[in-house]
Amino acid sequence: MKMKANTKLVLTTIVVIAVAVLVSIFALSSWQTPTQQTTATYTATTETTPTPTTIQLSGMINGAGATFLNPQMQAWASKFYELTGGRIQVNYQSIGSGAGQAKFREGVLDFAGSDPPLKADIYNEFKDKGGIIQFPVVIGTIVIVHNIPTVESGKLKLTGEVVAKIYLGEIIYWDDPEIKALNPELNLPHEKIIAVHRSDGSGTTRVFTAYLAKVSKDWKDKVGSDFTVAWPVDQLGNGVGGKGNEGVAAAVKQNLYSIGYVETAYAYEVGLKVALIQNRDGNYVLPTREAVESAAKTLVTVLPRAYEDWSHIFPDETVDAPGKESYPITSFSFVILRQVYDDPVKVAILKEFFQWVLTEGQKDENIVKGYEPLPPEVSMVGLEGLKLLRTT
Amino acid sequence: MKSGRIFYTILFFFVFTSLLIVVGVVTSLTVTSYPIFSRDGLSFIFKSTWNPVKEDYSILPALLGTLITSAIAISISTPLAISLAVFSIEIVPSKFRAFINNISDLMASLPSVIYGLWGLYVLAPILHQYVMMPLHHYLGFIPLFSTKPIPTNLFTAGVLLAIMIIPFASSVIREAYNAVPYYLKEAAYSLGMTKWEAIKTMLGYIKSAIFAGIFLALGRAMGETMAVAMVVGNTFTFPKSLFDMGYTISSLIANQFPNAEAYNYMIPALYGGAFILFIVGLAINLAGLYWIKKVMIKS
Repeated sequence: MKMKANTKLVLTTIVVIAVAVLVSIFALSSWQTPTQQTTATYTATTETTPTPTTIQLSGMINGAGATFLNPQMQAWASKFYELTGGRIQVNYQSIGSGAGQAKFREGVLDFAGSDPPLKADIYNEFKDKGGIIQFPVVIGTIVIVHNIPTVESGKLKLTGEVVAKIYLGEIIYWDDPEIKALNPELNLPHEKIIAVHRSDGSGTTRVFTAYLAKVSKDWKDKVGSDFTVAWPVDQLGNGVGGKGNEGVAAAVKQNLYSIGYVETAYAYEVGLKVALIQNRDGNYVLPTREAVESAAKTLVTVLPRAYEDWSHIFPDETVDAPGKESYPITSFSFVILRQVYDDPVKVAILKEFFQWVLTEGQKDENIVKGYEPLPPEVSMVGLEGLKLLRTT
Repeated sequence: MKSGRIFYTILFFFVFTSLLIVVGVVTSLTVTSYPIFSRDGLSFIFKSTWNPVKEDYSILPALLGTLITSAIAISISTPLAISLAVFSIEIVPSKFRAFINNISDLMASLPSVIYGLWGLYVLAPILHQYVMMPLHHYLGFIPLFSTKPIPTNLFTAGVLLAIMIIPFASSVIREAYNAVPYYLKEAAYSLGMTKWEAIKTMLGYIKSAIFAGIFLALGRAMGETMAVAMVVGNTFTFPKSLFDMGYTISSLIANQFPNAEAYNYMIPALYGGAFILFIVGLAINLAGLYWIKKVMIKS
């Protein structure tokens, strides 16, 4: 009897240990590549739906990526959920452009949102797997903000080159001759410029540094453009990093005589002073609807097709767009899709949703404040591209 | 008899699991950070660049930032934590004792992002105006205060950390103080000691618990991510004074992890940073243990 109990105990212990080991091995292996569950549950659909529009499809698609795109994507998703009577649910997690692209590469997302288009190496990887499509869904702008008490919002004039020199640490004081020459009517103080930048990796920084690299050769050679860069001004002790738009905004507000860059919507929301910036044609502009439209229109000529590689064009070539009124730090936010999906229902839902986004979704009532809608020519890129979606 | 066996089996299972988790953490830190160490070797630790454009990473400024902010935090919070513990036991009328202790425990359980926001919007401007600027103005000749401060810097992060870790250290010390045998206290008073002298004796008696509380708090200070990321200034530079902006390893991870997957070596580099943090934390704790032992043996 006692013998039996002992054997039982030993057996139980072994089983328990085995289970523990298995569980931990499983946990470890999945830890390396955190997979997001793509739970797509479909109700009452058959695999042989020839014309999806006539049948009431329902289901869910999962996307993730750019934080910048997040408020707009959430607005579209909830509007679309309403319009379809809850049939179609679009989930979007704002995890950052880079993470979005990486997760998309792993195949755990139905679509990715990103400020820059897909990186060239990932694009090429997908070439053999049926290809991808990517297209702009909305326009975003970045403004230069400052905190000089004696200067009102919309009065300070800057050129891209001067901004680059400030972040390079070459222009240190506000009354530098180069800034004074642009602003003869302003009374600029002899105070050190505190240059605020994002400390977290972000698409905003990617676009902003692409602009600096375009207008300043020095910047291009010494620093470059990326989600995060090594800011030369930090080495002088005059730079400060803020986490997220809110961190940059707080740093600009708390530090007199600072300068920073934030997404336009954010600048107006928290009441930061905005600087005018010189565009390529020599005019000083703010990111008004007209200035942004003007910039977007000039881009139409260089737009690739949705299935092509955009990485060498956006944002490096498209910032500082020509045009008398164009706002120079204007950029698209992209959506990235695979061309081939296993599930026909998913293809139909993706098509339905993004067709809506590129048409109805661009109407003023569906665009969140701070974003600008696409000109129809630009929407066409996506609408054409969506035709390529197919099943295996 | 039988239920006892079941109990021990379950107990064994849980002990085994927690051991396995520790082993798993160390293994995954080592494995994931291996590429950066095999590419850069020790220069990953001893350089001072963080340049994703060139995939050039190193960790020293952040490591220094971690050590500096933790040192500030510990030196501010230690006397405060001991005072709070003694105050809540010896001075406060017993009616309010529970209230004070609850408040202190509540402080410990607040999410760190709340401390971060409070630190950024409330603490940083106040410290800047009333502490850092006067210190810099009058004592600027001392290298520690030589940088003209802006609100977010290593000092602000250190003070915020100090506030965050006081309840941790304090609650450990409080429990130990409460556990001192009552006859010791009575003996102290019967010898004619004043209250102050009695407290000093009691504190001497629980020396090791005080160290334990401080090391627990230190661990928390070194590992804090979000709150520090909001107030530390986030510049990847060698700190030259307490008022310089900087980085800590944990806040570097908090800042850079979301987009790290867009790069080939950033994830190994961030794990490498975590690995170094783990080693440094371990070393400090071992040194602490050794020291406690020496103190205990001496007394």
